[in-house]
Order: sequence, then C-alpha cells, then structure tokens
Amino acid sequence: MQKDSFYTVNPAVNICFFAAVMLITTFVLHPVIVGVSLAAACAYTLMLKGRKAFVYMLAFVVPVVLAVSVINPLFNHEGVTVLFYLWNGNAMTYEAVIYGCVSACMFAALIMWFFCLNCVMTSDKYVYLFGRIIPTLSLVFSMVLRFVPGIISRIREVSQARRSISPDFGKNPIKGIRHGLSTVSVTVTWALEKAVNVSDSMKSRGYGLGRRTSFSVFSFDKRDCALSAIMLVCFAACVAALASKTISFRFYPSIKQTFAGWAAYGGCAAFAVLCALPVLLNIKENIAWRILKSRI
Amino acid sequence: MSEKTNKEDKKKAYRLALSVIVALILVPAVIALGVAVWDDRKFYIVSLIIIIMSMVPFALRFESRKLRARELVVLAAMIAIGVAARAAFYMTPQFKPAVAVAIITGIAFGCESGFIAGAMIAFVSNFIFGQGSWTPWQMEAMGILGFLGGILFHKRDGSLPKLLPLCVFGGLGTLIIYGLIVDTSTVITTQSVITWEKLTAAYVSGFGPNIVHAAATVIFLLILAKPLLGKLNRVRVKYGLLE
Repeated sequence: MQKDSFYTVNPAVNICFFAAVMLITTFVLHPVIVGVSLAAACAYTLMLKGRKAFVYMLAFVVPVVLAVSVINPLFNHEGVTVLFYLWNGNAMTYEAVIYGCVSACMFAALIMWFFCLNCVMTSDKYVYLFGRIIPTLSLVFSMVLRFVPGIISRIREVSQARRSISPDFGKNPIKGIRHGLSTVSVTVTWALEKAVNVSDSMKSRGYGLGRRTSFSVFSFDKRDCALSAIMLVCFAACVAALASKTISFRFYPSIKQTFAGWAAYGGCAAFAVLCALPVLLNIKENIAWRILKSRI
Repeated sequence: MSEKTNKEDKKKAYRLALSVIVALILVPAVIALGVAVWDDRKFYIVSLIIIIMSMVPFALRFESRKLRARELVVLAAMIAIGVAARAAFYMTPQFKPAVAVAIITGIAFGCESGFIAGAMIAFVSNFIFGQGSWTPWQMEAMGILGFLGGILFHKRDGSLPKLLPLCVFGGLGTLIIYGLIVDTSTVITTQSVITWEKLTAAYVSGFGPNIVHAAATVIFLLILAKPLLGKLNRVRVKYGLLE
C-alpha cells in the first residue's frame, strides 16, 4: 500500500467514516448521490492502490455492474414507458432500465468502498475497537489471527521434514496425498497441544483474575477530533437534507425526481465532502509535506 | 453457595428476557419500521439489522459464560484450523472445508461455541478472501450450521457421532441453509424490488456452486470428523478439558 494518511487516523474514525458513507450509499437510490459516492470511491481506490490495481478492479466490477443492470429490466416489468417487448411478451420498460443502472452503480460503489475498507481496516484495528465492548470474543479473534500464520508455517515445516526423510516423495501421487494428510494430521495435533500450552501460560499470568487491559498504538489526537467533527456535521447535513424530502427519486410507475433548493444542494455537497474526506486528507498532507520540504 | 446460584439464576433470567425482547419486540419493530419508513431498500436494511441482532445474544452469552482459558484457546485453535483450511483451498471456488470444521467444532464444544466458531471462521477468513456486504450473511449461515451441529450431535461424554447422519446433515445443511441464506443475500444486496422470479433465478443459478459446496462439506466431514474429534478427545483426556 502506498502512503495513506487516512490509514493513520484513529480506527474509530475509520470505521465511522465507512459506516456513514456505506449507509447513505446503500439506502439512498438517487443518481446524484450514487454518482458522488462512486466517484469518491474510485478516487480513493486509485490513491490507495495505484492505477494498475484499479484497472484490475474495474475488470472485476464492470461485468458485475452490467449483469446487475441487465437483470432488473429482465425480471421487473413495472413502469409506464415501454421500450420494446421481450420474446415472452413481457415489457422492457425505460423505468426498469434506469433503475437497474442506478442500483448497479450503487452496488459498484459498495464494492469499491469495501475494497478500501479492506485496505484501511486491518485486523489490529478491529481488536482495538472491539476489545472493550466484547473482550472475550476479541481475545479469541486476536488469538485466531495469531494461530493462522503459525499453522501455515508449521505445515510447511512438517512437510519439508517429511520430504527430506522419504526418498520417494513426489513420485507417486497416491503417496503424495497420504503425505499431505499425515502432514495435516500432525499439524492439527500440534495446534491443539499448543493451545493447551498457551492457556497454561495465560493462566499462570493471571488470566481471568481481573479486567484485561490491552496495549494499542492508537491515540485520539487533534486531527481525529477535527475529522470526527467534520464527519458529524456532514452526515447530519446530509441526513437532514434527505429527511426534508428535497432529494428523492421515484422510479415506478414513472420516473419523478426531486433535486431542488438549497437544502438539496447543501446536502449533496455535504455528502461529497464526507465521501472525499480521505482523499482530501491525503491531498492536504501532501501539500503540507511539499511546503515543509521546500523550506529545507 | 445459595447466593451464588441465586445470582446465576438472575443472570439466566436476564438473558432469557433479553432474547425474548429481541425475538418478540425488536425484530417485528424493525420489520414494521422498514415497511413504514424505508421505501427503496427496506429488504436490505431490515434483513441486515435482523441478522446482526440475531448474533448479539450469542455474543453476550459467550462473554458472560466465563470460559476457562483452556476451552477458550482450544476453541481459538479450532477456528484457526477452519480459517487455514479455507485459505488452503483458495484455488477451488466453493470446494472448501470451512463448514465441516465449523460443524465439527459444534459437535465437540456444544451448540453455542459452534455458532461462535462458524461466525468467526467466516469473519476471519474474509480478511483473506475480502470483506464485503456478504460477510454478515456468511457469518450467520456458518454460525447456524455450527449451532445445529452442536444441537444434533454434541454428546457430553465426547463419544463420536455416527458418520451417515452427520454427512446427511452436513450435505443438506450446506445445500439448503447456507445456500438459501447466501443466495437470498445476493438478491437482497443487488436488487431492491424482490420478486419470486428473481429469487428463483438466484437459487437456480446458485444451485451448481451450492452442490459443489455441499459435496465438499460431506467429503471433508468423512475425512476430518473422526480424526479431528479423536484428537480433541485425546486433548480432553490428556489435560482434563471441557468438563
């Protein structure tokens, strides 16, 4: 991953950002809102992963979008503007086509946001977030995260050891499968015994005697405060605009859209700022870095 | 002693009340709210809220059970085995042993831990396969399978279940429960107007992958159930676990 400033803010800010953006994207089926969200998601993905990964991403997303936008008019015949009739006599309507396109773009934006979420929300951040609310489950979660690479590297070790003591390794496929099975069997036994060892160690260090404290490298600084404040204001403005019914889009039976007045523009602008927050943060930090460098 | 049992009883009653509140009041309230307030995406938000709420009682129960360190860590090891097993078969789509491991964990540890194991395997392995809107549904589906595995086959004395019913349950459970939940989630996530035609189309197109998934579960239950449960039994006898 390239250097990303949003990655370094407090995990609570991270998760609130993604929750707010995905919530609005998923539940407001309005072309403008969906478009803003999709554009911001694309920009952030580009910033996170670079152009090459973005093109790969598109190769995955575009077929999905096409499929979803075709499926709706094929199965849904509501709407008054008939474009043409299908082979089975069902109507293909303009409204259903538009609906399919908008919901496909919504889905694409959601996929992109989840892609960004996977980059930004690493597992340590989940442990930090849930450690206080559900301590036991978080403990299990962090132990699983630790065990998985351990098991995989142990499988490699065992299989290497077995390979070096058996001369006919890799010649007979049936023997190969048996080798694989006993490697897995050995590793599973090892993992379970290791678990008991770990628990003994935990017990001797006083697990279960009192409240567990946990170490984390995250702090809530001024920047996090500022970001949370901006997010809160933008989210509230956006929700207020949506609640005032100035942004709405009706698909069936005929398309009727409302997007007028300062409330609609304000709400949409607030949503744009909210979505673009990571990108803006990166740009701001880049400028600050350039200025600092030019002073040297 | 009596004070302690009194406290325990109170806790139990409290948890029962919580479950009743969730099942009888919160879920219908969410459905009613969805019908009344959200026009476009009501299926999505209602189902998502219900799924998350259905996991809450399990999480609370798990937190309040004060498991001993041993059970906790061995459970974590089983979940890790499930995640590693799913990751090992990353090249074969749908042909994954994760459900089998969740069911086996349910058999060994009981239904509640089975749910936690299934949900956790889905959640953690999606750090490898990618989190997405499908994560809650996968967690719920695998959790239910682990839970049912525990209910149907968990024995207090740790004796092994019969293989035939286990495989029938694993195959049908994966095909019907997991398949239905995940395919329905596809329709609910991508479409806003849900019709029977769309659902049928999703189930029909999902049938092939679901059959592969179910076959994988049956095969892995056949291969893994006896040795894995045997190993867990061995650890139990050797270290005096889970009693």
